[in-house]
Amino acid sequence: MTMRTESRTLLELDAVRKSFGGVAAVASLSLGVPAGSVMGLMGPNGAGKTTVINLVTGMFPLDAGCIRLAGDDIQGLPAHRIAARGIVRTYQNVRLFSGMTALEQVLAGCFLRRGTSLFASFLGTPAARAAQARATEHARHLLARVGLAHRADVLAETLSYGEQRRIEIARALGAAPRLLLLDEPTAGMNAQESAAIGRLVHELRDAGLTVLMVEHNVRLVTEFCDHAAVMSFGRLLVAGTPAECIAHPDVQTAYFGHSADAERIRALR
Amino acid sequence: MDWLSDTWAAYQSTLGFAAVNAVLALSTYAVLSAGVLSFASVSYAAFGGFLGAQVMLHAGIGPLLALPAAILAGGVLSFLVALIFLRLEGHWMALASLALVLITRVVVLNAPALTGGVNGLSIPVELPIGVLILLLLLLMLIFQRLAVSWYGIAARAVREDPAVAASLGMSPRRVQMIAFLISGAVGGAGGVLLAVMLQFLSPDTYFVNIAFTMIASVVLGGSYHWAGAVAGAAVFTALPVIAQAVVPAMQDVANGVALLLIMIFLPRGLIDPRAWRRRRAARRRNA
Repeated sequence: MTMRTESRTLLELDAVRKSFGGVAAVASLSLGVPAGSVMGLMGPNGAGKTTVINLVTGMFPLDAGCIRLAGDDIQGLPAHRIAARGIVRTYQNVRLFSGMTALEQVLAGCFLRRGTSLFASFLGTPAARAAQARATEHARHLLARVGLAHRADVLAETLSYGEQRRIEIARALGAAPRLLLLDEPTAGMNAQESAAIGRLVHELRDAGLTVLMVEHNVRLVTEFCDHAAVMSFGRLLVAGTPAECIAHPDVQTAYFGHSADAERIRALR
Repeated sequence: MDWLSDTWAAYQSTLGFAAVNAVLALSTYAVLSAGVLSFASVSYAAFGGFLGAQVMLHAGIGPLLALPAAILAGGVLSFLVALIFLRLEGHWMALASLALVLITRVVVLNAPALTGGVNGLSIPVELPIGVLILLLLLLMLIFQRLAVSWYGIAARAVREDPAVAASLGMSPRRVQMIAFLISGAVGGAGGVLLAVMLQFLSPDTYFVNIAFTMIASVVLGGSYHWAGAVAGAAVFTALPVIAQAVVPAMQDVANGVALLLIMIFLPRGLIDPRAWRRRRAARRRNA
């Protein structure tokens, strides 16, 4: 069930398979993410959404299939090379570096765009110093972009969960990705914070970034995603516009049990 | 003023050993700061120390000229060690490095041409304490530059979470390889400086005792800043001397108590940048 769209496909998964000890976390998944769009990846817990992100970023090797970025085969590349190709991610349970301030986290994210060699940076050549100053400036700009300019010099681990999530997004943006993978970016956030993340994602898309986000919040997906795909038990149930996906009977069943239950749940709202 | 010069003479060697231990502790810190616990610094020190000693004895050159040879020797050895060790998981790497320390002693015993074997090597060479301190200051400057450079940022990231660091484009293997090379070069230098301080090398010079001093210095001094290794080495070298002077009969007890106090009240070591930051943040909140 490869998704066909009129626009260019940036990320393409072709019959991707991954098992963990006999359990197929991802079973023959084919999916395309169109360039310059936001795609929401939905599905019940254990559907394999995070595994998809882990596979795309090279955290685990594939068992079978192929992953292409703008037509180039990227499977088998080590994680840091995939990042250098322009795929950067955030994590479902925030994974910031302990002991670093908010600014340092984002600066670490700018590693790929440091514009100087490690050795020149060690020597502190004028060019390296200038590059580091630019990177720091850029990191400040990114922090401001996620609304945390005032938190730059605070230890990230002392901040609230929502703030930590936003730092993680800023850190990922530091690497200037072509494709940003967000794993449940709004988990644990209130409605206002979630909407702010949605707006940020829109701004990023309008600036040319492609975003694939794992998201449970149906309203957020309908409001902020151009495309949606729903997984269940490692397989793609349906892909299309968010409205199409949510209306699909299989999705209703996967999410709410039988459609009759779903009707009842909707009636309760 | 006589008592002053007497005191100075008595404590001069303590100061010298503190400086040498600081160099060796920095060698261990170099890998630990990139997330690798390794005792292999002992082996770099042994290789650099014996090779440097031979160079001084046979070429008749001073310690400062033997230093580059020792640095190179340590660096080459650490490269070979890293090629093997970087295939191992964290705790296996620590165990393998301990095995390497044991192997080092066997090799030292069985290579009398280089090491003097069981008889050891006498090295009648002196290095003024001022030069030693200057060398340590230079090394501290190098570690400060490393810490604020992109290498330092990458090393911290790799230490905290290698998988996340890789997902941001840093190669954990490459960062840790650089860490090993720094550790090897610094360890080789520390080895030859120890040889010059002792003026005698035996198969037991580079063995588990200095491995213990190095790790304890870094951990108790604080493993999140290079200054922790230096402070830890100073405490570790001075403590037995002070304990002997103050409570002669119970110096070992005093040592143990001091170490326990540090572990209980400063679990992240004497030098802890995170604690400074928290305190600064708290002050700002109160202001």
